[in-house]
Amino acid sequence: MRSAVTSVFYSLNANSELIIMAFMIANRVLPGWRTMAMRQTPLTCSGHTRPVVDLAFSGITPYGYFLISACKDGKPMLRQGDTGDWIGTFLGHKGAVWGATLNTDATKAATAAADFTAKVWDAVSGDEVLTLAHKHIVKTVSFTQDSNCLLTGGNDKLLRIYDLSNPEAAPQEIAGHSSAIKKALWCNDDKQILSAAEDKTIRLWDRSSMEEVKTLTFDTSVSSMEYMADGEILVITYGKTIAFYNALSLDLIKTVEAPAPINSASLHPEKDFFVAGGDDFKLYKFDYSTKEELESYKGHFGPVHCVRFSPDGELYASGSEDGTLRLWQTAVGKTYGLWKCVLPEDLGAENSEQLYTSTPEIKA
Amino acid sequence: NGVERLNMATPVSVLRLPKGPDPNSRGFDPKSPRFIALCRTSISTSAASEVDSAELQREQHARSVLRETFLRCLLSMTNKKVQFHMYEKVKVEATFGASDIDVLNFQVSDLHTPIGVQKEALIRSQDVISFTFDV
Repeated sequence: MRSAVTSVFYSLNANSELIIMAFMIANRVLPGWRTMAMRQTPLTCSGHTRPVVDLAFSGITPYGYFLISACKDGKPMLRQGDTGDWIGTFLGHKGAVWGATLNTDATKAATAAADFTAKVWDAVSGDEVLTLAHKHIVKTVSFTQDSNCLLTGGNDKLLRIYDLSNPEAAPQEIAGHSSAIKKALWCNDDKQILSAAEDKTIRLWDRSSMEEVKTLTFDTSVSSMEYMADGEILVITYGKTIAFYNALSLDLIKTVEAPAPINSASLHPEKDFFVAGGDDFKLYKFDYSTKEELESYKGHFGPVHCVRFSPDGELYASGSEDGTLRLWQTAVGKTYGLWKCVLPEDLGAENSEQLYTSTPEIKA
Repeated sequence: NGVERLNMATPVSVLRLPKGPDPNSRGFDPKSPRFIALCRTSISTSAASEVDSAELQREQHARSVLRETFLRCLLSMTNKKVQFHMYEKVKVEATFGASDIDVLNFQVSDLHTPIGVQKEALIRSQDVISFTFDV
């Protein structure tokens, strides 16, 4: 007569292999065995009708963390960060939205659009709070940590700083770039500004003097720039290269070459991994210390435009030309968000829930 | 080998797929715990630290009356000629059809514009400053 398994003790190793450590049967604990490897199941967030060009996470709030996506359909969306569930759509822009950001506690959102405006939104109600008129397409927006100031940049080659407590006042303007600005962000505790432009430079500016402190010049236009306050690291991508710089000195830390042209990269909060995506539609995961390529995933049906780690590092989100966002697990197989670690069928866990298993991806 | 291992690998199970957008609404559910906790209400008395419940009731009643009047106004406009005063000194006339649930768009017919008459059109309500019609 067969006895039922009453308890199972399991773990997930670094190679995403589910290991049964031990199990209990007929009141005896018996040693376990190694099971099959777990394969990544990305979660697809649909809803956008055009390419997703930018995405940003908030910090961790009492209600979890949130994700905003910028889309060429002009309708940026807010989603629950750990599940990808849609919360709302910010309606009001009359052109493609090129940049989107959230403040740390996800109470405010800001967007940059082709309708020559940047907008500030109440991220709880979805209402438009402020429209900031510009003289050309706006590409990038960034809040200071206290959410009191908004930095914008775009095709008019100017950086602008708006005081959100006094929005009627004219913004401070910083000139210097000779081509359209693609990305601008605050760094060094909001005392400095980093900007990347089509003029193939990245410039560091001092906020109080409004002067250029340092410039990095590249052979080709930089495709993306991400800043990590903890550790003052700047992640830059150009061509097939992912480069890491010290954000204060702009000294190079290291570069890593990817198999294909990269459009965006993101460093894990614990700085052990980084992820990158680009023109070959794939997502790559690398070891930051050894620079080794660890994993790569197909899934998107178009070039990947943006990729970001969540604030807790448990997942990363990618936005693509195919109009979707996808969420990927950092530790494949772990129970988190909508992903559930399931034990092999033959063990027959006592309380087996109805679980949805994804069908294998159809390779185009 | 590596390929065999991957093909044998079990895909991670998923509880459900992420929820997509609601086609009928822009979202931001006012019943969500986050909304209830964080959304500043526009009722001035309820924002005050000492809430006078009689004052609050009066204000709430006034709000209900205003809302009901507005909704009845939209109903009575159906199939009537309405003049819309919009930004950039735009004044157009059309036959009003309906509003969507969030009052984001007005469906109109026979929209008279300086460049011709549009048989069917949607007017973005945020572009409208005011509208007038004969009751």
